[in-house]
Amino acid sequence: MISVNNSIPTRWRNRTLHLLLVWVLVFEAGFLATAAEPPVQKAPASWESSIVTIEVARKRYDYYQPWTRRTSQMQKSGLVLADHQILTTADEMFDRTLVRLQKNGRGRWWIGEVTWIDYHANLALVTCVDADFWRDLKPVTLKGEMPAENNLQVLRWRNGNLENRHAEFNQFIVREGQLSTVSHVTLEADCEIQGAGGSEPVVANSHVVSIVNAQADRTCIAIPASFITDILEAKKNGKYHGLGYFHFYWQPAANPASLARLKLSGEPRGVIVIQVPDRPDGGEQVLKPQDIILQIDGFDIDIQGDYEDPEYGHLMLENLSTRAKWAGDEAKMKIWREGKPLDITYRLPKYDYSTSLVPMATYDQDPEYLMIGGLVFQPLTDSYLQSWGPDWKRRAPFRLTYYRTESPEKDRPSLVLLSQVLPDPYNIGYQEQRCLVVDKVNGQRVNRLPDLRAALDKPVNGFHIIEFVQSDSLRKMVLIAGDTEHEATSRVLKRYGINEPLHFAPEREK
Amino acid sequence: VLQKSLVILLAVAWLGICRAADPERSVVQIITFEQQPIWDAPWRFDAVRRMGGSGFVIKGKRVMTNAHVVSWGRQIIVRKYQDPRPYVAEVEYVGHDCDLAVLTVEDGRFFENLQPLELGELPKVRSAVVTYGYPAGGEEISYTRGVVSRIELETYAHIGNRRLLSVQTDAAINPGNSGGPVIQDDRVVGVAFQGIPGLENAGFFIPPPIIQHFLKDIEDGHYDGFPHAGLRVTELQNPAYRAFLKLPDDSVGARIDGILPIASTEKVLKVDDVLLRVGPYPVANDGTILYEGNRVSAALAFQLAQNSECVPVQIWRDGQRQEVSLPVYRYDGDHAAGYQYDLLPRYFVYGGLVFTPLSLDYMRTLGRGARETDSGEFSYELYFRRYESVATARPEPIVLASVLADTVNANVSVRGRTLVDRINGIRIEKLEDVVRAFETSTNAQDLIEFLPHQGFECLDRGEVAKANAGILKTYGIASDRRL
Repeated sequence: MISVNNSIPTRWRNRTLHLLLVWVLVFEAGFLATAAEPPVQKAPASWESSIVTIEVARKRYDYYQPWTRRTSQMQKSGLVLADHQILTTADEMFDRTLVRLQKNGRGRWWIGEVTWIDYHANLALVTCVDADFWRDLKPVTLKGEMPAENNLQVLRWRNGNLENRHAEFNQFIVREGQLSTVSHVTLEADCEIQGAGGSEPVVANSHVVSIVNAQADRTCIAIPASFITDILEAKKNGKYHGLGYFHFYWQPAANPASLARLKLSGEPRGVIVIQVPDRPDGGEQVLKPQDIILQIDGFDIDIQGDYEDPEYGHLMLENLSTRAKWAGDEAKMKIWREGKPLDITYRLPKYDYSTSLVPMATYDQDPEYLMIGGLVFQPLTDSYLQSWGPDWKRRAPFRLTYYRTESPEKDRPSLVLLSQVLPDPYNIGYQEQRCLVVDKVNGQRVNRLPDLRAALDKPVNGFHIIEFVQSDSLRKMVLIAGDTEHEATSRVLKRYGINEPLHFAPEREK
Repeated sequence: VLQKSLVILLAVAWLGICRAADPERSVVQIITFEQQPIWDAPWRFDAVRRMGGSGFVIKGKRVMTNAHVVSWGRQIIVRKYQDPRPYVAEVEYVGHDCDLAVLTVEDGRFFENLQPLELGELPKVRSAVVTYGYPAGGEEISYTRGVVSRIELETYAHIGNRRLLSVQTDAAINPGNSGGPVIQDDRVVGVAFQGIPGLENAGFFIPPPIIQHFLKDIEDGHYDGFPHAGLRVTELQNPAYRAFLKLPDDSVGARIDGILPIASTEKVLKVDDVLLRVGPYPVANDGTILYEGNRVSAALAFQLAQNSECVPVQIWRDGQRQEVSLPVYRYDGDHAAGYQYDLLPRYFVYGGLVFTPLSLDYMRTLGRGARETDSGEFSYELYFRRYESVATARPEPIVLASVLADTVNANVSVRGRTLVDRINGIRIEKLEDVVRAFETSTNAQDLIEFLPHQGFECLDRGEVAKANAGILKTYGIASDRRL
């Protein structure tokens, strides 16, 4: 899950990097028209029939006003695969309202349909039902094989031409996914291209070695072909059930005194498990704190937490949770426990946004909210926190962002907050309250909006008693329940132009 | 007519200067050579810095100034009006919570021909005041004139976590003015003390009620500080909440929403009690009292009492009025969340590992990127845990501040800026626990566990015992501890 080898957790560093990458992507997309760039090489004609442009129109939400919608559209690349499928990244495909496809960088647009999408893996497949679309298109080959002479190219359609930029391979490195915290191998290459990250293929000779999912300065970060093909193959065979991951914390075993304490003699090796949270699937945790992991699936683990990958060289052990393995699969581990070696089988839990106390994303779902009498309640999610802008980790209220570091518990799997109060005579005296995490309403614990709705159905002696989590801010509110409340809700809906007093995600509606 | 008008204006100006001539003789320049400790290397000190401030003579052959003018002073020099001679001063009393200090000057000649300034009353809003002092930009005394803009409770920046009565003025208050008197009708109506960066025409001074409180406090030869009732009072303006509490729907009464773990307060007051009157002051439903014609937070009514005095309070509880008497005391439970002075930082060095209490001063050494550095653990521990989880809060959270490189700790991956959870199985509640955990263990290795993920490091005790003295010598540390 995480290596803890100094005071900056890996996950934190990587999330920071991701934020930067997104920013670069957004900023440079607008910069394309004026920036001075090196001359563009023309790509070999053979690629022109294998790369298409995908245009995605999608909803954008304002979490300050969760009942409002805006729209935006962007373009990215797609790769023609066999069986009338187009491969692209899942990024920017969420909350979509229309997908269109274009061949040859110009001309007619065709309606596309997303047939499969996996946000955690950041991959999607798109198709077009119109047979004419597929005429003259040629499927590509995805292969991890790297050319000895390091002559990579990054390709994309631009202004009707297939742009071809030389790229120089840097390294394979394990990092968290663009849209998840699951770590897997990525390819880094230096390239003069600007505003990449829209699924541009990185090609070598006649095959595709990766697709770009982010860019930081000159460095393109790409998803390697083998990661993609393994998933597509498993999906084809019905064996892919989503990404799995290691649900424990470990630290390097570089300190011989620590190994001596754990009675491991000989050369220092392995990594030390330091924290084993409850599994999100409720399964048994086979690891214990102070176990030393010596081997995973036959690969020796060194004291930094790396193993020697036959395809990519030195990689962090996290990659062994996604190396042709998926949620529910087993990883064989050789560990050292209480002075003895032990073989164990670790079943990979399925990664899911909803298993975090503060979900990292809520894709393809309109923002949830519930409003009574001007009091707006929302789930605490990263999407909500991101309304504080690009620097949201600094600008959002500290206590709210700190919840991201906390683990969910059985009696607190998620959080609901009073996000704001829309002023109305009903809520006078509370208008300036905001960002308060709800603990109980009318004596009932509130973890999700449906809990809140159920609690509001049971006022106490004609009052709603809202208690907030003990912190340095307001802890309690009391409001009138009944007709006065309903009148106020109607009044606020009308005055603030809100169509509905609530919106819940469909699965929670049940 | 024009000539006559000019003469009158000049005369008025002349009169003004004549009246101002007397107070300025009692205003002194203060030069402090200060040296602050380095909070993440607590045995070391920063370079000596020369700081300039102001002060004024008060009764009893004392000089009053701001606490921040003389804090961490190695030497304090005072200079009289138009007199180049330096006189050495000493701090007699200092109140860091109210940012006030009184100094004494041993050389009796200093007070010759000096008249102590008299303390006035709290000035009225819109009335004119003149600040006297020695601000940066010159060596001579400076005067600035302005009006009182508003009077309310403000955070006192010197300590950082106390709000006391303060007066805002549009008279220019610049660095160096600190400690100087604010005069109205020849009487001191304030001590200039802070501004707000980026905000023009807004300076702040400490008003007479705070100054008088400080002077009364030290009458017994000891400064106790302003009492803190430990109440978080919130407005009670929503009719529903008032009806819920069976309280008349009028403009009186503010609700107690939270109480700090202060036994004397918890014994007398409860959450959801409504404050109707504190001392002689009725409490409005927005949590304010009317004090000398100014609407200010009801917290002032408690602060006007001296430490350990009882404040009569009228409350609304269980649908009726009740009279209670609340003893109020200085509160130290949050001292680490404010800036600290006078006492040098505590630390313990073991095997090159430097342990020190978590504090706002320590956090300041991390710079602006602190939130990235510690993932928020420090801020949560310092500011939130005591509110949210009293059971797990530690009286003095300890950090591994740094690791002084040595062969004995060469393989320790954690190099500092990390919260300590346990050492050799002992939960670390305060610095003394660190010392005890290391000094009482009999294991071959020391086990140090960190927060938040229970990462740990081990040290070979035998090797540490051999290396300790050498590490202290190498890094110029006179003692392995300051407890």
